[in-house]
Amino acid sequence: MTTKLFGEPVRRREDARLITGRGRYLDDIGAGALAAAFVRSPHAHARIVDVDVDAALDVEGLVAIYTYEDLTGPLAEPLPVLIPHPQLTAPRTGYPLANGEVNHVGEPVVMVVATDRYVAEDAAERIAVTYEELPAVVGVDAAREARACVHEEIPDNVAARHHQETGDVEPALAVSPHTLSFTQYVERSAGMPLEGKGVHARWDADDRSLRVHTSTQASTSVRAAIAAKLQLSLDQVEVVAPDVGGGFGVKIVHPWPEELLVPMAAIALGREVKWTEDRREHFISSAHERQQRQEVSVGFDDDGRITALDVHVWHDHGAYTPYGIIVPIITATQLVGPYVIPVYRVVVESVYTNTVIVTPYRGAGRPQGCFAMERTMDRIADALGLDRAVVRERNLIQPSQFPYDHHLTFQDGRPVVYDSGDYPALLEKLKALVGWDGIDALRDDAEARGKLLGVGMALYVEGTGPGPYEGGHVQVLGSGKVLVSTGLTTQGQGHETSFAQIVSSELGVPIADVEVTTGDTRRFPYAVGTFASRAAVMSGNAIALAARGVRDKALRIAADVLEADPGDLEIADGVVQVKGTPGASIPLRTVAVLSNPLRYAFDEAAKQATQFAVQASNDQPPVTPGDAPGLEHRDYYSPIRSTFASGAHAAIVEIDPQTWEIDVVNYAVVHDCGNVVNPMIVEGQVHGGVAQGVGGALYERMAYDADGQLQNASFMDFLMPYASEVPDIVIDHQQTPSPLNPLGIKGAGEAGVIPGSAALASAIEDAVGRRITSMPISPTELYDLMRSETAERTAASGRRTGVGA
Amino acid sequence: MNLDGSAVLHGSPEAVWAALTDPAVLARTIPGCLALERVGEDSYRMDVSVGVGAVKGTYAGEVHLTDQERPKSYVMHASGAGAPGQVRATVTIELAPDGDGTVLTYSADAVVGGPVAGVGQRMITGVAKRLAAQFFTAVDAELAGAGAAPVEPRPSAAAVSSTDVEAPAAPQPQVFTGRAGVPAGTSDLRTLALGAAGGSLLTLIGVLVGYRLGSRRNQ
Repeated sequence: MTTKLFGEPVRRREDARLITGRGRYLDDIGAGALAAAFVRSPHAHARIVDVDVDAALDVEGLVAIYTYEDLTGPLAEPLPVLIPHPQLTAPRTGYPLANGEVNHVGEPVVMVVATDRYVAEDAAERIAVTYEELPAVVGVDAAREARACVHEEIPDNVAARHHQETGDVEPALAVSPHTLSFTQYVERSAGMPLEGKGVHARWDADDRSLRVHTSTQASTSVRAAIAAKLQLSLDQVEVVAPDVGGGFGVKIVHPWPEELLVPMAAIALGREVKWTEDRREHFISSAHERQQRQEVSVGFDDDGRITALDVHVWHDHGAYTPYGIIVPIITATQLVGPYVIPVYRVVVESVYTNTVIVTPYRGAGRPQGCFAMERTMDRIADALGLDRAVVRERNLIQPSQFPYDHHLTFQDGRPVVYDSGDYPALLEKLKALVGWDGIDALRDDAEARGKLLGVGMALYVEGTGPGPYEGGHVQVLGSGKVLVSTGLTTQGQGHETSFAQIVSSELGVPIADVEVTTGDTRRFPYAVGTFASRAAVMSGNAIALAARGVRDKALRIAADVLEADPGDLEIADGVVQVKGTPGASIPLRTVAVLSNPLRYAFDEAAKQATQFAVQASNDQPPVTPGDAPGLEHRDYYSPIRSTFASGAHAAIVEIDPQTWEIDVVNYAVVHDCGNVVNPMIVEGQVHGGVAQGVGGALYERMAYDADGQLQNASFMDFLMPYASEVPDIVIDHQQTPSPLNPLGIKGAGEAGVIPGSAALASAIEDAVGRRITSMPISPTELYDLMRSETAERTAASGRRTGVGA
Repeated sequence: MNLDGSAVLHGSPEAVWAALTDPAVLARTIPGCLALERVGEDSYRMDVSVGVGAVKGTYAGEVHLTDQERPKSYVMHASGAGAPGQVRATVTIELAPDGDGTVLTYSADAVVGGPVAGVGQRMITGVAKRLAAQFFTAVDAELAGAGAAPVEPRPSAAAVSSTDVEAPAAPQPQVFTGRAGVPAGTSDLRTLALGAAGGSLLTLIGVLVGYRLGSRRNQ
């Protein structure tokens, strides 16, 4: 019997360890390390006039104080612009410690190192920094108006004008039977991993090597950055991502200032140094996302088919652009979703504000794009008096149209060509799952209970698994243990389980024998990182290819021993055997021993491979030319382009017209990520995504005041949904395998969050009959909207009232 | 690392000069000075304890004065080492009359090595500035006649026969005990606290100086 675990809902092997306190997170490392704390800017925009450390000197246990003046060589230069782009014409990045100017509250100015964190914070508190305040630019509209500027030499606050078009949009709009134009907003939120960032560095002065643990999504690239910035040779630096308590994108950014400064201090002091981010630091000095102003013009015919779409987005990227214009590009290119858009033009102006940097947060520009497109569909339906599902259905790309080329350029520099999908089937499944056609009965029932009920839907297509590559290494030991490693990191996705399932299935070994290591540059030094729903696609396929390489070699060696043809052999439950010939077999662990010809025996198993034990031809060297000792293989997967997953969400909300409390009573998801490695893990990813989608739609926002002070920088004030706010989710799956990769899989990590705001805005609008043009929306805002004289009423509400009257 | 600064002292340049080159006064006024030993013409060996942060530790060092143009200027060459690291500095000191007093300006060029070099410029500068301020305050008190009763020099083990404190060119080593090295009862509390807490060659530099890490970048 073969060990086919691919596609099975195997329970996550890491969970027992993680939920019983045996996880090893960053702060569990380096108990004796010195601790770092930071003096951060209290102003959104200011010049630094003076730093006075005198009062801190009396703090017993203070070890070191660093400012910009202590940075040398490349470390004194601005942090890297990680992803340059020709349209990013005015990139700016900060310094590891502020160099004379601060551009957002929370920017690091001074690093203090002391015997423990309490002492470090006591000392930091006593350091007096004198600032000369400058006018702050807060919010996308203020940036656009440019009455003040963030960077003196960029007076219009615009870092990039990203522009793509597939035809001449203005004439196409001019001849469209109908057109609509509208403006809408999406607010800032953030991924909020429960474990913030953290860095621990240990310098071994004797062999001049640095080992850094960091709570990152990109350990190999952090390693390269540390080596470059601290002027070390790559072989002197190792970077390990330990257990990481959530990333959601914020930890793909690197090097964070702390990832350079903590190692710098460890080397300078010859001591272990650690920094663990606290929650307020995470709010004011990590990264946010989502804020956009969107101006949409759409042309369509009498049936609701889109003829032309023109979108102008202002994207608030905060004080700096370390991650380039990836989020604007994703909004621009993923906005089109599952629809045929005959002529499309998009311009995204990426603007500076004196607020925390904006880098990809789960969804990474897609929720905003989805919000623009799906709200457009709702408006077309409203204008024409059509069912919202019908308008969507009429615009869908049909299964016969794949591969479908949108003639756009994606975030990986490759064309937006959808590889596979079945969007009409998605929509049908969604309607059935949520009971779309029976909604009026629910509405009446709710009305009888004094509640307003509405339903909304949103569809998306998500480019996943972008390159350039990932690798995998699989090695069978003489003990029978199978070691698997890949360079990208894990932050809760269950890689220990899903990658082991792949190896177990490909190699024919029990999953219990498989051990998976991720994000450790000592084990696998080549990798890109965990982002853009790419781990399963990229490392999953690389590991599968590596396992296939091991299998081929094992069969070759076993064929010699068993005097059989490799083609007649199979591996099951860790044993190589001749198909249909019971007894003609050899354990894979023995094959592993024999793969490494030995002179010296160190245990019973090793004896089998020593020179007087092996029957070998005297005409052949023990290791065949071109071969290598050991039963292991390393391989890489590099895709031609991204693979495009898809899905559809629908939400039913009930609203209390007394309190305007919004209750999500039903949330339906139809999800297509190609072949599924582990459906339980995929559903878990969907659940988590929906939770963040609901948070982003109804609760979470970054409440900046006009001076750039973040007023809700704590979990007391920033409303993350609890289990009580996350609706029960019903999920249906569809599998259209990707033709682009050996396993036929597509990414699933971000999908759940993408349509949340769009679907919930649609449902709320359906319930209350007022146009929802800005998300998130709170009960207070909904109350104000309902009382507003100027709030736009939907045509559907008028028609419904008319029918009812 | 460079550091420049100045201090106003209540005394003529001549009086200031006399104080700053008097080992007994130096031993009393250098913060954290445990002992100061004359080892030759204008040369001293000293033990200093500094008690601030990572700079904390006892440093043994030497000081030699050159280019003396009494009472206008001289150059102090200092070096020292302790567990926290090593320091080498050249400090130019100039005295200029200012009414009844003297303006002392100093300009130091220091090289810091060892672990202490890693603690950050602001930290070292902060310690140095503080020690310099304490030193000049103490010197000023001496000039005002408010200094503690002179501490008699204590002969070193190698020079038990010598008691000639005043001999400017004493051929044998003489040891002057600093405030940090005498019983608490005779010592000004602030200096004692500092001395007890630690001191250094840094002190020395800090002393006459207070300096800034000449940015390594500029080298």
